[in-house]
Amino acid sequence: MTYAVEQVTNIEKSRALVPVRLHFGITAFGVNAWIGDEGVVLVPEHDEESGDEELYVVLAGRATFTIAGDTVDAPAGTLVYVEPAEKRTAVASAPGTQVLAIGATPGKAWEPGDWELWWPAREAYEAKDYERAVELTRQCLVDHPGSPGLLYNLACLEALVGQSDEALDHLDQAIATRDSFREYARGDDDFASIRDDPRFLALTGEAKAAGAST
Amino acid sequence: MSDGDRFAVTRIDELPEVPVPAAGIVWRPIRRTLGIQAFGVNAYTADAGQTVVEEHTEERLGHEELYVVVAGRATFELDAERVDAPAGTLVFLRDPSVRRHAVAEEPGTTVLAVGGKPGEPFSPSAWEWYFAAETQPTEQGIATIRAGIEQLGEIPPLLYGLACLEGRAGRIDEARAHLEQAVAGDPTFGEYAKTDPDLKEVVQ
Repeated sequence: MTYAVEQVTNIEKSRALVPVRLHFGITAFGVNAWIGDEGVVLVPEHDEESGDEELYVVLAGRATFTIAGDTVDAPAGTLVYVEPAEKRTAVASAPGTQVLAIGATPGKAWEPGDWELWWPAREAYEAKDYERAVELTRQCLVDHPGSPGLLYNLACLEALVGQSDEALDHLDQAIATRDSFREYARGDDDFASIRDDPRFLALTGEAKAAGAST
Repeated sequence: MSDGDRFAVTRIDELPEVPVPAAGIVWRPIRRTLGIQAFGVNAYTADAGQTVVEEHTEERLGHEELYVVVAGRATFELDAERVDAPAGTLVFLRDPSVRRHAVAEEPGTTVLAVGGKPGEPFSPSAWEWYFAAETQPTEQGIATIRAGIEQLGEIPPLLYGLACLEGRAGRIDEARAHLEQAVAGDPTFGEYAKTDPDLKEVVQ
C-alpha cells in the first residue's frame, strides 16, 4: 500500500472512539478521533503518564474541554495542545462533533500505548467473553512481550476466569515493571475473586496497611 | 492564543498566515506556534484553484504523512492518481516516495498535515525555518535560519537557505562559503544553485 484514503466517519468506531492509527497502520505517531453528539464524553479524563504531548483538533461541531480544572469552549477549527501531566477531558457540545487527537513523546521513537496493544482483545472483554479475551491477550503478549499494560489486563482476565495463580503471577510482573498498577489493582473489580488472597494483599500493599491498623 | 502553563488553545484561522511563494502555498505553522516537539503538524489554507499542499515527496525526511481535510474540499494527486477529498477525509501516505500535491476545490479549504519518521524520535524539519525566513526581511530571515542551525546543526538545507539569503543581501563571500558547505553535505544543492536567482552572483 502506498497510500490510503478514508472519511473519518467511515472508520468503524468503538463507542465514540475512531481508531485512526490502527485503521491505517500508522507507526510514526499516535492519532485517533472521537465522534459524538451533544453530551457524549469524547475524550475520557486522563493524563499522559507515558509522556506524550497531545494535540486535539476539533474537526466538526463543538466540544468543551476541561484541562487542569480550566474549561475551554472549542468550536470547529480549534487546536488544544496539552502537556503530558495535565488531566484532560472533552465532551461534545454540538451534534456530530469530531475531535482528532495526535500524540507522541518528545525525544522518543513513537510506540503504541497499552490500550492500542490490547485492542484485539477489547471487544471480547466488553462482551464478557473472558475466556476468549484471555486467549487474545496472551496472543497480544506474544506480539509485544513484557508490555506492562498487557500483563495487567491478562491478570484481570485470569482473575475473572478463576485462574488465580496465573492472575497473581501476571499482576506481580505488571507491578514490577509499572508501580502505578499497585494502586489500580486495589480498586479494580476484575480482581474480586482474588481480593482476599494474601499474595494479592501483599502485591497491592494492603497487607502492610492492614497490619499497621490492627 | 490562550496560554496556560501546560496547555494552549488557539484556532487554525488565528495562526500566523505565512505565504510561501516558492511553494505556492499558505502555511499555518502549528508546531512552531504551539512549541510541539514530538511530531510534525501544520495546516495549509487555500481558496479554490490554489495549491494547498505543495508537490513533494518525503524521501529526504522518510516521514509517514497523514493529511486531514479540516474544511472545504481538495483534490489530491498521489503519484498519477487523483483523489477527491471533502472535509473529513483522511489521506495517509506510508511510502515517502509517493509524489503528493493537493489543490483546493472550495474557498477556505484547510488541510492539516501530520508527519513523523517510524522508529525515530521526531526532529523538526529544516523547511520550517526557511519557509519562515522566506517571508521576512532579509536580515531577519538570516537570523531565523541561524536560529534553525542552532537547533538542528549545520545541515545542508539550512546552510543552503542561509547562502540564498546572504546572496540576496549581497554578502557574496559568506554565501559562497555556506553554499560550499551545503554542497559538501548534499551535492544535490549544487544542482539547485545553478538555477537559483538568489545565488546568481554566488555561483559565477
